Amino acid sequence: MLSTQDSSIIPNEWYNIVPDLPKQLPPPVDRDEKKSSIQLLNQILPKAILKQEFTFQKYTKIPEEVQEIYAQIGRPTPLFRAKGLEKALDYNGKILLKYEGATITGSHKINTAIPQAFYTREEGSTGVVTETGAGQWGTATTVAASLAGITSKIFMVKISFNQKPLRKQIIELYGGEIVPSPSRETKFGTEILSRNPDHPGTLGIAISEAVEYALEHDLKYMLGSVFNSVLTHQSVIGLETEKQLEILGEEPDVLIGCVGGGSNFGGFVFPLMRKFKETKIYASTASEVPKFSKGEYKYDFVDTAKILPSIKMYSLGSDYVPEKIYAGGLRYHGAAPSLSMLVNSGRINSSDMPEDKVIDALKLFARTQGIVAAPESGHAIATAIDYVKNNTDQKETILVNVSGHGLMDMSIFQR
Amino acid sequence: MKPLILYFTADFPSYEILKRFLEEVDPEIVKYVEIGIPEINPLYDGPTIKATHSMALKNFQREHLRQFAEILIKKGIRVFALSYYDRINKEGTNFIHYLKDSKFSGIIIPDLLTDYSEESERIIPEIEENFSFIPFFNPATPDTVIQEVSSKTSSWIYYGLQPSTGIDIPFDLNEVSRRILDLVANREINFGFGIRTIEQIKEILGLGSSGVAIGSLMVQYLKDNDMEGFRNFQNSVRGVYLNAE
Ligand SMILES: Cc1ncc(COP(=O)(O)O)c(C=O)c1O
Repeated sequence: MLSTQDSSIIPNEWYNIVPDLPKQLPPPVDRDEKKSSIQLLNQILPKAILKQEFTFQKYTKIPEEVQEIYAQIGRPTPLFRAKGLEKALDYNGKILLKYEGATITGSHKINTAIPQAFYTREEGSTGVVTETGAGQWGTATTVAASLAGITSKIFMVKISFNQKPLRKQIIELYGGEIVPSPSRETKFGTEILSRNPDHPGTLGIAISEAVEYALEHDLKYMLGSVFNSVLTHQSVIGLETEKQLEILGEEPDVLIGCVGGGSNFGGFVFPLMRKFKETKIYASTASEVPKFSKGEYKYDFVDTAKILPSIKMYSLGSDYVPEKIYAGGLRYHGAAPSLSMLVNSGRINSSDMPEDKVIDALKLFARTQGIVAAPESGHAIATAIDYVKNNTDQKETILVNVSGHGLMDMSIFQR
Repeated sequence: MKPLILYFTADFPSYEILKRFLEEVDPEIVKYVEIGIPEINPLYDGPTIKATHSMALKNFQREHLRQFAEILIKKGIRVFALSYYDRINKEGTNFIHYLKDSKFSGIIIPDLLTDYSEESERIIPEIEENFSFIPFFNPATPDTVIQEVSSKTSSWIYYGLQPSTGIDIPFDLNEVSRRILDLVANREINFGFGIRTIEQIKEILGLGSSGVAIGSLMVQYLKDNDMEGFRNFQNSVRGVYLNAE
């Protein structure tokens, strides 16, 4: 077991896979001739983020203050061997876990929230705005903003807002402001409410409200996933893992992570792909949101409201309405362009996991490892268990990224 | 003198007006002219150039290309076509032969490496048999792709400062130019896609062995049929170029 206190494991540069991809990454494009959604990014994102979004640099220095905050929010997160799970599965190989649930907000989301809040403050803005579905991203945003000394405003999809009152309390405790979306604080929200006062909200509407609010109040908008810059920030996961593997003297044969927009997966897998060129890689998605197996690799909108640019990715369609699974973070119609390209080229395999299998995996995991993993992460665990069961005679080293804990998503077990 | 390249969309704002502008192009400073073939969806062009495509589309006739080229070649300016892959795919080698017969010196295909990388293996040598394939790279092009495609071609290289034109993404000019100059030494590299001001042209010329391609910056003169404005514009660019010598 590794000490999580050794801050020398925290990298001082982030890794960006774009210049290392086998092919050129198709850039974000505008669909609308009259207004430029990419120009819009210029107004709502800090310049440093926009630059990272389009950079050809493989490595970007992590600002010292960000490195320090990484140390304070629980980085490096632990890498350890899942002996309990190995035993329960009667597996002769090894299962290793990288555990992002050990950060103070309980998931990897904080890894990108911190630099985005930091650059916002450095560039003289007073606050950030974003949307949140289940609440993980909103919580990470608020913590990062408070640590940077700026304000945060979160538009939370109304139906989740009502279902998860704890999220409101936590976000307010951390010093953020949270409103259910659709709200009357934006033109877009007001218009939707005037048509249907009981509208339950969607992530697409919440994004639209957050962007409009940022523009109207001269605040910055925070990107939760999908964008290159976010995957770059999340590379701390894989970079730490690389060093930790070295200390442990282990080399993975298989890498597994879950995919919503692709940020924890890309952040974990991409840095490791540099050294471990032959590993088998599995991107675990929800069978209910089968973006890789049933989606199409094409240009599509990032958000339902079509405010943000189109990007080339696997997509089920930007107006696809996913089933109401517990893993809210996996209910996204697309996936990051770099990840999509590697799935399309066959380098990365996809694995669809249905919710009942995920629940079984979460239960087994809790009982053998003592960790209540997030429903999203449960997909990665379920894929790992499946892999072990199909390859019992192999003695491989399987490395799984567990993106978050699930202590606030206990309702998944109530059925 | 360092290369100056001007970009025009064919038949924008009309056949007649573009012809008059091309006649006005100053061969003392302009080395190449790029003629964009109008497209329904010029995916990687920014809003300014995109708008020229939709306007030009209804005026466009293939035969005009030959006439545009003639005007420029008479003055000693080399002409390059810029076309999305879709058209080349549809019209096939026939189109390449037409351009070659019309005295075009080469072609730029902005979406080839991004969206048709498999086809590029076949089509680059095919084009090179006729005239120059001008590689179009940008900050999102992987190092390996830059090296491989450069080695298959011998012409100048078009390097986009931004992944799409007409959009101001912040970048460090020095860093961006150093990267490509380091990756492919001893080649003429011209920068474009996103040059917004005369000031930026000055800056780029100060960086080393490269020239500049200008497109969006001239659209307003064409749109307004403002020949005087275009002349003044060329003169101020000439000033910058002469100073850079
Ligand atoms: C714990 C957890 N894991 C995974 C995800 C999926 O997002 P991404 O694919 O960007 O990592 C989320 C998103 O909300 C999450 O909260």
